Amino acid sequence: MRKKINKNRYGFILFLLSMLLILSVGVFSTIGTANISVIDTFKIVGSKIPIIKNYIDISYIEKSYETIIWSIRLPRVFLGILVGASLSMAGAAFQGMFKNPMADPYVIGISSGAALGATIAIIIKADVSFLNMSTISLFAFIGALVSVMAVYNIARIKNRVPITTLLLSGIAVGQFLTAIMSFLMVIYNKDMTKIIYWTLGSLSGKGWEPLLKIFLPTIISMILINFFSRDLNIMLTGEESAQSLGVEVEKTKVYILLLGTFMTSMAVSVSGIIGFVGLIIPHIVRLILGPDHRILLPASALIGGIFMIFTDTIARTIISPVEIPVGIITAIFGGPFFIYLLRTKKKSI
Amino acid sequence: MYALKVNDIEFGYDRELVLKGISFNIEKGKFISIIGPNGSGKSTLLKTLNNLYKPTKGNIFIEGNEISSLKGKDLAKRIALVPQNTNIDYDFTVEDIVLMGRHPYKGRFQKENQNDYSIIDESLKMTNTLHLKDRPITEISGGERQRVIIAKALAQRPTIILLDEPTSHLDINHQIDILNLLKNLNKEKGTTIILVIHDINLAARYSDEIILLNDGVVLGIGKPEEVITTTNVETAYNLNVVIDRNKYTNSLYLTPVEIKKRIPKKQTETVHIICGGGTGAEVINRLYDEGFNLTLGVLNVGDSDWQHGKSLMIPMVEEAPFTGISEKTYNKNSEKVKAADIIVISSIPFSRGNLKNLISGYEGLKSGKKVFFIWDYPDENFDYTDGKATKLINEMKQTGMKVVKSVEDLVRSIKECT
Repeated sequence: MRKKINKNRYGFILFLLSMLLILSVGVFSTIGTANISVIDTFKIVGSKIPIIKNYIDISYIEKSYETIIWSIRLPRVFLGILVGASLSMAGAAFQGMFKNPMADPYVIGISSGAALGATIAIIIKADVSFLNMSTISLFAFIGALVSVMAVYNIARIKNRVPITTLLLSGIAVGQFLTAIMSFLMVIYNKDMTKIIYWTLGSLSGKGWEPLLKIFLPTIISMILINFFSRDLNIMLTGEESAQSLGVEVEKTKVYILLLGTFMTSMAVSVSGIIGFVGLIIPHIVRLILGPDHRILLPASALIGGIFMIFTDTIARTIISPVEIPVGIITAIFGGPFFIYLLRTKKKSI
Repeated sequence: MYALKVNDIEFGYDRELVLKGISFNIEKGKFISIIGPNGSGKSTLLKTLNNLYKPTKGNIFIEGNEISSLKGKDLAKRIALVPQNTNIDYDFTVEDIVLMGRHPYKGRFQKENQNDYSIIDESLKMTNTLHLKDRPITEISGGERQRVIIAKALAQRPTIILLDEPTSHLDINHQIDILNLLKNLNKEKGTTIILVIHDINLAARYSDEIILLNDGVVLGIGKPEEVITTTNVETAYNLNVVIDRNKYTNSLYLTPVEIKKRIPKKQTETVHIICGGGTGAEVINRLYDEGFNLTLGVLNVGDSDWQHGKSLMIPMVEEAPFTGISEKTYNKNSEKVKAADIIVISSIPFSRGNLKNLISGYEGLKSGKKVFFIWDYPDENFDYTDGKATKLINEMKQTGMKVVKSVEDLVRSIKECT
């Protein structure tokens, strides 16, 4: 059994995790074909920050290293953190909302919806911009939202969303949307490579631009979803109880669904589909820290970020110089874990 | 002002109405049970009282406020609900759970303060769960969990607590425990308690008033004595019952006898049963179910067979409590014997006080009636008349009285000769 964690220590835990995250940024940006030390990495980063840069001497570091760190690895690592954090946080919120350990953005159809939306955007070469979001992000969000609404409504029996119907409708809708996507790929085969690479999920070669585009919307939705942590806690004890305590259950569900879908489709629109992160991380965090969403949501985000850049580092170094899409690595970790969950949680299904 | 005023509400899930025009008022500080057979709308009614379901017609007023006009949190400050299923799969601590009861008083950005913590400590103490404070809710027993959920309800500081079958999954000791707890809260804090409960006897014992629902309408409302009547229970549950008072608690006590027959049997014969002291219970029930017209006698007022006869509304020849049979009642009894076709004597001990009962039976025998004696004495000690009774019984046997060993034998013998 997990040890009881004092609520006053939540702040401390989050501080520790943040420190760990910063350290991971340093470590994982140094690992790679080009051999650059952790100290140098921090120095390069420091040299880009006003005021601090006056105190840092990077003249001895090769210019190409600076480029590798600053223009290639750092944006990649930060993107990884953002993607991992939003997938994990959305996963944690969905699992709480559905009271369902199997709910993650992937399983309940968000990813396939987002993928189809993005595919359509790629094919029709649409160019609409909304709130600084790229066209692909926007289409991905719409696709994800439609998909998750469909899954949710198909799975719902009266006011309950039983695990079996949720999984089944998630699979059904997901397969259906994926089929449409494949169909589109066959027809518009000149875009096929782009789409395939996108659906495999990867963080490589994005640079700063897409990161900056999704940064603010993602961070804001992540902060907002935390405001619902108490409502989520109460909803875990039963929806009728929650309602009788004055929690507006249906509204809260819609907000969480919107925010979660939004942040995942932001991530997915840049990185492509990266599965299982949103499933495993919240589970591990819940096992260690307990079900309280006040700690579960932010801790999932932090650990999700760390996990993501860890797996991405594996993806780009394991058979270097060939790079594996990171989605494959997370699936290699996630698949067995998912099976483990199915086996141990059989009773509650 | 009433704590709760329900005004002609209707509610249905699909097309069919579950609540079909329900009205009642509940005064502040009462202990109310809602009873009724499965599907009568009890739980649905409870949920409409908490605005979980919104009636399609009619209104509900909580302390004078229309329920739908109250915001969720404002309603939660007045009414707390203890749902039927208190199972929680997530390992929150007991304290976390009870703290959730403070949610109605907290804004989205407000943290719980010292006041909240002292309220939850008080709630935990009141429900005798303070020692469980740091335990995970997933690891405590069902009875303890039920108390914790009640503590959570108390932390809401409500004036009304609704409970949906709070005792249904518990052992008998925990059932009493929970109901005593609720009764205390009701007495000490003046909290209005409204609960749905299956056990009519417990409802009768603890409630100030009972609401009996049947098929979506109120079949009876009022004090337990007014609502729990054989007619009401038979109508609602389609069950024949005996209602008397429990010796120890002096509350109404209901014993189911048999599911009411769809087509009641009707026999033409009248059977007069001579019994007393509870020896007649089985034969009375059996012959009653078989549809015979029954008369009983002579029974002392207050005797358990007398109570049984009363509850089944059987005509009886009565004698004052704890007195021997007078000449007058003996004559009355003889009339009943004459009017009957069959006379049954149960295994009563005979003394000077009731020997006349045996004589009545003998007279019936002499006038050609069929007389049966259910010989089921546990031992030889039944004759306290210096052998007079034994002598009489032997004479009766010779005159043609049939002795049977059990009620089953009796029914068979009666059927053979009719």
